[in-house]
Amino acid sequence: MTPRRVAVTGIGAITACGISVDAAWAGVTSRTSALGPITRWDVTGWPRRIAGEVVPFDARALVADRKLHKYLRRRDFFGLYAADQAIDDSAVLAPRQALDAAARERFSDRSAVWVGSGGGSYADQYDFLPALAGSAGDAAAFARAVESSVTPMWLLQSLPNNVLCHVGIRHDLKGPNGCFTSHSVSGIGAIAAGAASITDGDADRAVVVAHDAPVEPEVIARYHALGLLSAEQVRPFDTRRDGTVLGEGAGALVLEHAEEARARGARVLGEILGSGQAAEDGGLLDVREDGDAVARAIGAALEDAALTPDDVGMIVAHANGTRASDASEARALARVFGADGPPITGFKWAFGHLLAGSGAVESALALCALRARVVPAIPTLREPDEAAAGLAICRRAVEPRTDVALVVSRGFAGTAAALLLRAPARW
Amino acid sequence: MSAARRRVAITGIGLVTPVGLDVASTWDAVIAGRGGIRPIESFDAGGFPVRIAGEVRGLAEDRLPLPRRVAKLAGRYHRFALAAAAEALADAAIVPSTSDPERWGCVVGSGMLGVAYDDLADFQRRHAPAGELVTGGLLSEGAASADPVAFCRSHALGGLALLLRAFGIRGPSSSVHTACASGGQALGTALRLVRSGRADRALAGGFDSMVTPVGLAGFCLLGALSTDNDEPDRASRPFDRTRNGFVLGEGAGFLVLEEWERACARGARIHAELAGDGSSLSSYRITDSHPSGDGPIQAMRAALRDAGVAAAEVGYVNAHGTSTPMNDRSECAAIRAVFGPPPDGPWVSSTKALLGHAIAAAGAIEAAITALALHHGVLPANANLSERDPDCDVRLVLGESRREPVRVALSNSFGFGGSNSSLVLRAVENAA
Repeated sequence: MTPRRVAVTGIGAITACGISVDAAWAGVTSRTSALGPITRWDVTGWPRRIAGEVVPFDARALVADRKLHKYLRRRDFFGLYAADQAIDDSAVLAPRQALDAAARERFSDRSAVWVGSGGGSYADQYDFLPALAGSAGDAAAFARAVESSVTPMWLLQSLPNNVLCHVGIRHDLKGPNGCFTSHSVSGIGAIAAGAASITDGDADRAVVVAHDAPVEPEVIARYHALGLLSAEQVRPFDTRRDGTVLGEGAGALVLEHAEEARARGARVLGEILGSGQAAEDGGLLDVREDGDAVARAIGAALEDAALTPDDVGMIVAHANGTRASDASEARALARVFGADGPPITGFKWAFGHLLAGSGAVESALALCALRARVVPAIPTLREPDEAAAGLAICRRAVEPRTDVALVVSRGFAGTAAALLLRAPARW
Repeated sequence: MSAARRRVAITGIGLVTPVGLDVASTWDAVIAGRGGIRPIESFDAGGFPVRIAGEVRGLAEDRLPLPRRVAKLAGRYHRFALAAAAEALADAAIVPSTSDPERWGCVVGSGMLGVAYDDLADFQRRHAPAGELVTGGLLSEGAASADPVAFCRSHALGGLALLLRAFGIRGPSSSVHTACASGGQALGTALRLVRSGRADRALAGGFDSMVTPVGLAGFCLLGALSTDNDEPDRASRPFDRTRNGFVLGEGAGFLVLEEWERACARGARIHAELAGDGSSLSSYRITDSHPSGDGPIQAMRAALRDAGVAAAEVGYVNAHGTSTPMNDRSECAAIRAVFGPPPDGPWVSSTKALLGHAIAAAGAIEAAITALALHHGVLPANANLSERDPDCDVRLVLGESRREPVRVALSNSFGFGGSNSSLVLRAVENAA
């Protein structure tokens, strides 16, 4: 049996750059970032005042179905919107219209949904603050206060798998599914799981969406206390880098069994070739200096795709701008690719770090890069860190050296994920 | 599927539940029909309409496989996870850090941001004295948000990070959250990890505790829980005509999964084979599946197909069986659709009558119990089932647990949000 191949036939994205993939692509190929002053609360006096917010946030424009709004939080609007966009872009559900009832059911049952989610926000819990304030530490009084001050929908609004649920209901998708809450590797985790549903023969198509909205006061305060946030901008691999900047939004991809995509005449944006994941055992916040998990995740992805480092034409690095992550990531890339490696870029300088959403947005943009044959520059990089010496990190846009892109994501708990994508045939 | 597909052995089991702090005591209670649902003790639940739950009682600090300075990073449900995972690894008689740690994966069902009630109350006093967040104070000297220990305890990956660190695991690791299906989906994800060759072994399971003022409030507001406060032992009664909601539980279940040949080569005792994983999405309502069983039907069929077993081979289903009117009806319709009506079809029971519903941990705890049922050839009974619901017409295990050698069993877990997980477990030939 020949292995089932996986085509990407639709993409969607919403970021600080705008509410489309085209806007995000225009952002990462420009010289200016979309990061800006936080508008959602008063940051006067805060040592960290910038983020990649989606402004303006128009809930009705993102999800037209008003009945749904009472179940959704900000992060969910991004996810549902990006998923809709990718589904429309692919026209993957169009063939269902022509089917009879039994075949329609089978179509739905063979349609997977995989989601990467942030796993909740601190603000979810704030709905209980009025009840706490009114009960002065008395749990019984708290219980009574909750009944009149918190919406009955609170739990349903707070489900980390909310986007999975509603993408399924809205589009009648009923196949294999899951929701990763693995911090910043959730996006690639979801793409890999979607691809596996197809290669394993459990599904013929998969909608993959990864979303997050970490721009909230307590997250900014906590990440700042940990020394992870920049005061100004994301300067990946630069000697003067001083942290990352959080962004919000979502990315989505529609994956299809390549044979079926061809049969229905779908426009193919690329192919998923393989993926790999690894972890370190140093705790939630530590990363090894040698970038060990990153190197092993890339190695596993290459093995999965039966490729060698020489086959890789460009790299979308995690490149989050923190001291520890960039240096260790650079060492890992040097370990895998040696001195003469492919051009390396990163996208977080443009719209911030979407955490759980980042892997899907950046994978969609990697496909744009292959299509345009452009590895965008990182304009905030002036003087590369010593750890990046010898790496081809793009200060000017260049052409990919082959039709294969590698996307890298790293998350807390020392997790790392790598994804390999190929441009469509006749590249 | 090629004949050479890698098989996956369950070589270790660990449990922390309301009826026992390890596998032996939990299993004894489950087959004896001893429940763990009581009035809530860990906080004053007097003001809530629901004041009962299955709580884990008396887990000693010395069960944590971490030095004290690291153990302070562990919140309540992280402690359950660490204790259950340590038991599973001891049971499997293998140490990840000295047995190719890069080839060990770890998958957990949980992974939701969680602020402990006391921490939230402290946060409110400091930063929301009138109930509204005052953002300015978040960056002040000594602000609650500056405490990295509290950050680690609250983070969605806090539990996974502690497990990797405690046991030295360095391979593919992730956290999945599909509400009440999380534990089952975590095991399914780990099964696929080992089967595909991305890892040779995996520590996989689930952990949760929603038995907190905030968690209880969330479910009370939704009206999903039984309010039979005066009869805690009978409050959870899956498949009974008078059932009126589920009862919260808490705890953790972990399995050690190993590629079959490697497990055999080191002479490991194999409890059962984890043979198949199926998932589906109901896409009906947020909290319910269709009364016809649509959704759960596809998950069970997918799991059987994945395991390569016929419906007729299945002898036991450990049901999701929450004791809500809708779930039990829909699940029984699904079981009838897949296996046929009685007298055909497998024996069915839900252990939530005794343990309550451990939400993200439930699927892992119940898969562990299913493995034990295969291993011991004993099927747990449906406790508290006195008036069978005519809409739940499946082959329910009534009265006492039943000695019945079974070759293949299913463990079902269905979540809010519509995710359905079904796992197939197969007995080891010539096992005890």
